[in-house]
Amino acid sequence: MPNLLVCYKWTLDERDIKINPNDLSLDSSRAKGKISDFDRMAIEEATQIVEKQGGAVDALSYGTPTVKQSLKDVLSRGPNKAYYIGDASAEHADANVIAKVLAGAVRKLGKYDVILLGEGSSDSFNQQTGARLAALLDLPVVTFVQEMTIEGDTVKATRKLADCTEAVTVKTPAVVQVLSTINKPRIPSMKQVLGASKKPNQELKIADLGLKAEDLVPKSTRKSVKGFVMSRKNVIYKESNAADNVAKLVASLAKEGLR
Amino acid sequence: MSYAFTEEQLLIKQNALEFAKEYLDPIAMELDHSAKFPAEIVKKMVAQDLLGLFLPGEYGGAEAGFVAFIEVIEALSGSSASVAAILLNHAIAAYAIEHWGTKEQKDNYLPALVKGEKLGALAIYENGPMLGVGPDTLVAEKKPEGYVLNGVKAFVRNAGVAGVYVVLATTDPTSNGKTLTAFLVDAKASGLKVGAAKESMGLRGCPMADLTFENVIVPESAVLGAVDGGLALATDTLAVFSLGEAAETVGIGQAAVEHAAAYSKTRVQFGKPISTLQAIQTLLAEVATDAHVARLALYDAAGLFEEGKPFQTEAAMVKAFLARFGSKMLLDTVQIEGGFGYSEFMPLPRLFRDIAGTTLLEAPAEYPDKTIAAALLA
Repeated sequence: MPNLLVCYKWTLDERDIKINPNDLSLDSSRAKGKISDFDRMAIEEATQIVEKQGGAVDALSYGTPTVKQSLKDVLSRGPNKAYYIGDASAEHADANVIAKVLAGAVRKLGKYDVILLGEGSSDSFNQQTGARLAALLDLPVVTFVQEMTIEGDTVKATRKLADCTEAVTVKTPAVVQVLSTINKPRIPSMKQVLGASKKPNQELKIADLGLKAEDLVPKSTRKSVKGFVMSRKNVIYKESNAADNVAKLVASLAKEGLR
Repeated sequence: MSYAFTEEQLLIKQNALEFAKEYLDPIAMELDHSAKFPAEIVKKMVAQDLLGLFLPGEYGGAEAGFVAFIEVIEALSGSSASVAAILLNHAIAAYAIEHWGTKEQKDNYLPALVKGEKLGALAIYENGPMLGVGPDTLVAEKKPEGYVLNGVKAFVRNAGVAGVYVVLATTDPTSNGKTLTAFLVDAKASGLKVGAAKESMGLRGCPMADLTFENVIVPESAVLGAVDGGLALATDTLAVFSLGEAAETVGIGQAAVEHAAAYSKTRVQFGKPISTLQAIQTLLAEVATDAHVARLALYDAAGLFEEGKPFQTEAAMVKAFLARFGSKMLLDTVQIEGGFGYSEFMPLPRLFRDIAGTTLLEAPAEYPDKTIAAALLA
């Protein structure tokens, strides 16, 4: 019976983020946290596998101390136990740091047959964490997965690529990154929500994960984030001659920088 | 009194909103037009543990508390107040059984109500006589075999789809409403007939009909609460019901203001979105404020009830506030959306008709102003 681990990211709900129209800065002061969308699919997939085949699912997340707010949510979705690393270093962590912290936690937690993650996170969608985690753990990684089964010590997966699908088979242990099309996460029932507080969770201290100080230094730094606002100019060309209207439109577009 | 929701309550609201978006949004307009009972949605609500949300675990309930129930009703109402009304009528009938029933009555009915094997309904009102004033026309006559019920109850929500009715009948029609007794009547009882569906202005997906009782015999064990204690039971039950109604109203109002705000950003007039016009901003601000203030008062009253404290005055205040501002929220949002907002292919007309149902239909035995004044002047 498979022993599964799902790594998830606790992100801000983008629907709650407002864009300041003056300087396009983001106001997330009223934004609630949520489990990153694709990671919800990873949690659902692992939960469905265990419901069909038996086994167990654990969940693991690295984030700022607010990651603790995710525990009841994630446990209501199926996992048996949640581990979390709530550390201020996550505030500026890039995919390199995140993967190193997760890899340190996985080494500490022990052996899992399959580690599942979403293909990318709802906020930055870098699509790097799974691949980096696999490299650090010296495991095979299967990305863009839209269908998967676990048979014995083998993962059979269908990858959705740009113009085709690819069927792959890998031996466990392995890392799998799932696409949003792999399933439709169920909405936890009231009893699942209320039962989440009875499931165990455990904090892992970053100092106990065997990391070096430089492991927590991001290699890439985000300089700024700005919102994108699509605004209409509502220009109407009223020449009687259609060709003149087209000429004016083309001139306007060229002036806007369209080449 | 606390406005800080627990983590569980926040998750319950989030999940209820997701449920509403996924399952209710796609069918809300058709449900409103067809007025056909949404049996499949009720099954989905059973799977989410919504039918026994605040009932004790010993009967299969989720024990999530009444505040969580109010959150769910508010969340569902923004998408389909009809579905919320089905749940509300069911749940408050279950509340009456849980609060006033004997151990045997609870064992008999609550597990089935939680599993959705039976829906609950309240048969309280009649054509003409006011509750507690009389003369009541549904008469329960004491006989050796129990009670024999004859007469009509009117405007019964969930009529025809419920498996059990909480029915108010008088044991003495000359008592001017003072001898009301509540009975649990099974939908399959011989002589109980459900009248033709009554088309209504709003909440159209929640069935409504009259119930006719022709020599319906119920055993003495079907008496809910005390003989002739029905008025107290109804007053208590309707006060709890009014909180659910207020949650419907707040949910509808919030949905309306969000829709109007989004619409105002896309509707261009005078060369710019109407959201930039001060007149529109003023209307939006007023409606958002009404919804927010009502919500605070609602959760205050719901919290008092959940904690077992007196809540009737606060519930009456919520009801009085929403009687004034409930429908106004829809008047103002339709005003913002203009001709489009008035059109049936947009959601506001449905919300307008629904909010009329949630603010005008049910009333506690005493008008809210009377309840509030009585508390002040005691």
